[in-house]
This record gives sequence, C-alpha cells and structure tokens, in this order.
Amino acid sequence: MLLSSFSFFACEKNSSSPGGKSTETTGQGGSLATFAIVGNYLYTVDNSQLKVFDISNSADPQLKNTEDIGFTIETIFPFKDKLFIGSPTQIFIYSIEDPAHPKKLSSAISPTVMRRCDPVVAKDSVAYATLRTNGPCGGTQSLLAVYNIKDITQPEQVATYPLGEPYGLGYSGDVLYVCDKWSGILLFDISQPYDPVLINKTLADGQYQDVIPYQNTLICWTATGLILYDITDNRNPVIIKNIN
Amino acid sequence: MAYYIGKVIKSKNRMQRNGSAGCLIKNIVMRKLLLIIIPALCLFSCDPKPLTDVTNHIYVPVYSTLAAVQQYSVEPPQPTVQAAKIYAYKNYIFQNDLFTGVHIIDNKDHDPTKIAFLKIPLNSDIAIKGNYLYANNYTDLVVFDITNPANPQFVKRVANVFPPVSQDYPPFTNVYFQCTDKSKGVIIRWEQNDSLPLPNCRR
Repeated sequence: MLLSSFSFFACEKNSSSPGGKSTETTGQGGSLATFAIVGNYLYTVDNSQLKVFDISNSADPQLKNTEDIGFTIETIFPFKDKLFIGSPTQIFIYSIEDPAHPKKLSSAISPTVMRRCDPVVAKDSVAYATLRTNGPCGGTQSLLAVYNIKDITQPEQVATYPLGEPYGLGYSGDVLYVCDKWSGILLFDISQPYDPVLINKTLADGQYQDVIPYQNTLICWTATGLILYDITDNRNPVIIKNIN
Repeated sequence: MAYYIGKVIKSKNRMQRNGSAGCLIKNIVMRKLLLIIIPALCLFSCDPKPLTDVTNHIYVPVYSTLAAVQQYSVEPPQPTVQAAKIYAYKNYIFQNDLFTGVHIIDNKDHDPTKIAFLKIPLNSDIAIKGNYLYANNYTDLVVFDITNPANPQFVKRVANVFPPVSQDYPPFTNVYFQCTDKSKGVIIRWEQNDSLPLPNCRR
C-alpha cells in the first residue's frame, strides 16, 4: 500500500561527479528514502522499478530511463558513484558511473535472515543495513548487518548485531545511529568499521523511524513528528526540540 | 499479508477474478514452505483465490477524481497527523505527512519552527536540489520552486511516471473487498473496515 521509502548521507554538498557538474546544493534524505539526487539526476524507486530523471534543467525534469529491479523495492541510498537499493530480499548495488544508465554490479543477501526490511547506508568500504523481521517483513531475528564492500561486486556479511525492531540508520563521523522502535536510537562506535560497538542510546520515548545526521543536528522521524538532537558531540546527543 | 497462508487453499470460481499473473501454488503445501515462498511469488500479483478460512478483513476502495488528486496548495503550518519521511536542505527540514503533503520547518538559530504546509495529495517522498523540490503526486512527479520556502511555487508536472495503487483489488491477499466500479473515478487508496457486511469480492 505504501509506495514507500529513501536515503543519503555525505552531508549537504555541491555535487560534482558523478551525474555531471553541478554547483547547486543538494539536500539529504533519510535511509528510508525512495528519492535520491546525485549530481544532475534524480533517482526514484517504486515497487519494482528504478527511474532516472535528468534534472540538469532543474525546472524541467526528463524521465530518461526505467530499470526493472525486482519486486517491492523499498529504499535507495546514493553513495559516491553507487546506488544501494534495499528490498525485502536483498540489497542491490548499482553503478551510476554512467548516471543515466545505472548498471547492476552485485547484490547482497544476508545468510542470517531469509527475508526482512532493510534500509542500508554505506561508508567507504563498509555498508550497514538493518534487517527487520517483524510483520510483513518476515524472518525471525532482527539485526544490524555489516557488509564488507571493498570488492563491490562481492559484498560479504562480516558481522551482525541483534536488535529489537530496527528501522532507519545513518552516521556522522565514527558514530552510527540506528533507530529501534522500542529502544530509541542506538549509537554504535564505528571507528572499527567492521566491528560496531554499542556505546550509547537515547531514551526510548518516540518510536524512532529514521534519522538524518545533518551538520550538528540529528533529525529524527518519530511516530508523532520530529525530534531534533544537537550532535556537536556526536556520541552524546542533546535534545533540542519536538516538532509535532 | 502472508500471515494467514499455510492453510488449505481451495479454488472456487464464485469470485471476481482480477489478477493477471497467476500464483503458482494452488494446493496444500507445508506452512513453512509457504511462509517463505508465497511472499516472494505473490506479494502483489496473485490471482484472487478464496481461502476456506479467509480472515474477515474487508477493504474499501476510496475514489477521487484526477482533478482533486492534482490539487496542490500552500497552507499555514499544521499539526503533524501521520509523520513520515524526513529531508534536510540548507537550514530547512521537511517532513512528509503521509499522503497529504509536506511540513516545512525553518531550523534557523537552532529553534526549529514550522513555517508552511505544502499540500500534495498522495505524496510520500521528496528530494531537493538548487531550490527545486521534487515530489511524487499520485502517478506524477511535481516540481516546486522553494526559493521562498514559506511559499513554494508550482513549476512543472511530469505525468504518469509512477505506478498508481491497484485499481482492481487491494494490495493484500486473503481479504474481502468491495468490488471496484471504474465509473466512480480513480482509486487513490484502500481502507480497511472490518465492520462492514462481507462484500462479494475477495482475493
């Protein structure tokens, strides 16, 4: 029913490549996004398709390409010249070196969980995904899964961390923020990227769905709206305000 | 959606058939196998197949007109009803209110405050670049100029680039639903209402 979900991270930036030269500021979505802009292209996922819009003329987007990916695509996370696309069965990794023509490089399946909902974020040579197994997502144990993506054509699951009911995730520096519906936001130290260590959690109140670490603010989507935290000290979020 | 499977599936022809892609499984199969296979095979594409012990979940199509669905507007700040996707751009934060539009929040001086609500029917996601906001509006992509974020200006509509919700049946299996009637307009969503008398259609 939901057309559903989206992603982004490298903070507000003037994107240059890929996607062509662009001096315009691009915004930043959460890990549950279904829209993502890289350079002069807008990528969207809906149900089973990845669509590519040329927005080099910002006011006049042109649908350039439609790729069939699989069924029930849920999230898209752009990282450098790659798109990480989350589905209930696996993560698909696409190259956008040729931005109008995304090319499938590989897919990653967690051997631990057969079926789940899995937003994904990537950082350098590591990707993190939450594998949620409740409700329509199936499966038995929810996890934070860590993938080694040094060889992008062969992602390898290298660690898992059991979670309650995880949703979106995002990182700022060496801290990974993971939304857990019942435990609040879990903070992991990812200075050893393949071996996240739980270091802190916010209060549970709020049923957190997704986060965007944005400059010094952690923007959190909760059941009733937004909660913003100051993350000048990224290990110790300080609440700023609820917006309902 | 796949929770009530793992029971005996029986074919009858009393019901409306709407689907096109057929489900591969028709007979008794072990519950475990079904739990794994059914979601993969038939998430949204099953032929309607009545179950002997189908649950009494009832879905009702909500109709609208294309004109109403395409009716955007800039409204004063509003309370959040169904909090959804978030997006950050410059000093502004955007939060989707599921299927109704986008709350626009000015985050200046660390004192975030709602400044407007951009009403976009059936919207669920946005992205922004260079003061242009891109949003889905039912089957269309719409573009707004947000040079003044408190007062977005409509710029462009790219029609029919996203899939509509099913016009034939709800996106769930093992449920009853009110049979659809195309003369009533486009179906913009399916609502659950289990207190209604059992309708004639099911899948």
